[in-house]
Amino acid sequence: MTDVDDLERRYRRWLKWYPTSFRREHEAEILGVLMAIARDGQRHPGPLECLDLMSNGLRMRLRPTLSRSERSASRAVRLLYLGAVLELVAAITILATAGDIRTSEVSRNLRYTDAQWSAVVADQLEPVALAATVAAAVWLGLAWAIGRRHRSARIMLAVFLGVNVYGLFNGLAQGSAMSAQADLAIGTALCLVQLATVVLVFPKEFGRLGRLRVGRRSNRDPSLRTPAP
Amino acid sequence: MPKRTMQEATFLILTALAAGSQHGYGIISDVARFSEGRVQLRAGTLYAALDRLRLDGWITIDREEIVESRLRRYYRLTPDGTSQLATEATRIQSNAATALARLDVTRGSAE
Repeated sequence: MTDVDDLERRYRRWLKWYPTSFRREHEAEILGVLMAIARDGQRHPGPLECLDLMSNGLRMRLRPTLSRSERSASRAVRLLYLGAVLELVAAITILATAGDIRTSEVSRNLRYTDAQWSAVVADQLEPVALAATVAAAVWLGLAWAIGRRHRSARIMLAVFLGVNVYGLFNGLAQGSAMSAQADLAIGTALCLVQLATVVLVFPKEFGRLGRLRVGRRSNRDPSLRTPAP
Repeated sequence: MPKRTMQEATFLILTALAAGSQHGYGIISDVARFSEGRVQLRAGTLYAALDRLRLDGWITIDREEIVESRLRRYYRLTPDGTSQLATEATRIQSNAATALARLDVTRGSAE
């Protein structure tokens, strides 16, 4: 095997970091460029070249494939990133404000011994914090899927909104408005972000709904009616 | 919402293509030449940028050739890409003119 074959084989290995569909279309072309740049007698890709191929390959696997004209979906992806950050903030808040929750419970005459409180933290608060961390991963997964135009991700997002709204109301029913205001605030913010995202990923459906409402209003309100030509 | 500033690599790639269609290696050599060696684009960075620019409709594939049994794909600017490059070049020129004018004033008052 010649030095050139050796080098080409190694470059091909590093190009495996790129998505298959991209490799199918561009591998031969990129290899041509890499081989044209290579020095005479070079047998191994340089470390910076490897880093460049690996980082750009990974970026291409993860980044959205939406064009600038697909503004609605691009905004939805950015909101989903924001949602992931909020979920992580929520997980940290739940653990960091555990003491406040205990104080609030004590003021409501629900006294806990240290052992009982540790059990409450382990049984109730830690699982919720863990769930928020998992939810952050779900937000990121949905951002990836919507950024790559997977239609089923839109349905999953709507279901996810339903689950979060249920969680919010469930928390309210258990007295979160009294004992865990910080958690409630973040939960509400999350639901609002998610609702905005759902509106953005269903532009036609919500657009039609908006037109329908404007249409109904204009029927009632003569000032909203289009003047006759 | 204000438009995002174009990244330098994107600006240089579009500038390379403003002179006419070029293949990947041609773009890398051209950018290195007109930036006087300051910017050495790497293949991974170049193709990530080309893919993004194609997705946005700023460049398109012009033609393909096989040279010494290797594929060469030529890219060219689209009218949208030409207009984006012109807008960005004007913006940079305007900022640079302001900076230079202020530097002249500062130097003048220091002397």
